[in-house]
Amino acid sequence: MDERNKQIALKVIAIMYFLTYFAIVGILLYRQFVLGQELSEYEDIGIILTINSLFLISALLYFGAIPIRRLKVKSIILIYVVLVVSGSLFTYANYNIFQSPGLSYKQLFDKFIIIVTITGIIMGFWILLSILGKKRLDKELE
Amino acid sequence: MENIKLKIARVEKGLSQQDLADLVNATRQTIGLIEKGKYNPSLNLCVRIAKTLDRTLNDLFWN
Repeated sequence: MDERNKQIALKVIAIMYFLTYFAIVGILLYRQFVLGQELSEYEDIGIILTINSLFLISALLYFGAIPIRRLKVKSIILIYVVLVVSGSLFTYANYNIFQSPGLSYKQLFDKFIIIVTITGIIMGFWILLSILGKKRLDKELE
Repeated sequence: MENIKLKIARVEKGLSQQDLADLVNATRQTIGLIEKGKYNPSLNLCVRIAKTLDRTLNDLFWN
């Protein structure tokens, strides 16, 4: 394979990956809202998608595809807050709007603690990968 | 934009597109597309082509 063939192959693979990803998301939504299936019937697909997304972003960060700039604390906190708020809103809607009976305030608060903790762990992991990726690139430039 | 300079240099060297492709580890289609101006080769490939044709990058790839 020469460089042009490789470029074409990588483009095709990337496009097909994202088409497949969104098709699976479509299937999940179809199962939840059209077929009205229980969470246990499709959560395995959801877990695979989530792990897939985490690995994709982690790889993009480590290998420098997402530009690694000087980390600004304000930006990190803002991203964290946005993720926690959107995760919380999604959780609330999922349990209290699309399902009934909904969760109690105590149960919602427990879910909120999980969201805050897991988001913090994931963001910490991504920050660590960014730093390691930057060090790897700096080493290559020596 | 067509790369006529590359085509002329290749012909002057007595090489077909396939010959040049084999020498620079590319495909005939890639060489053809470079000459037609429809593919932008990497710098590595440009250098290999220039060395094979005994020309400079300027001679072949810059206006």
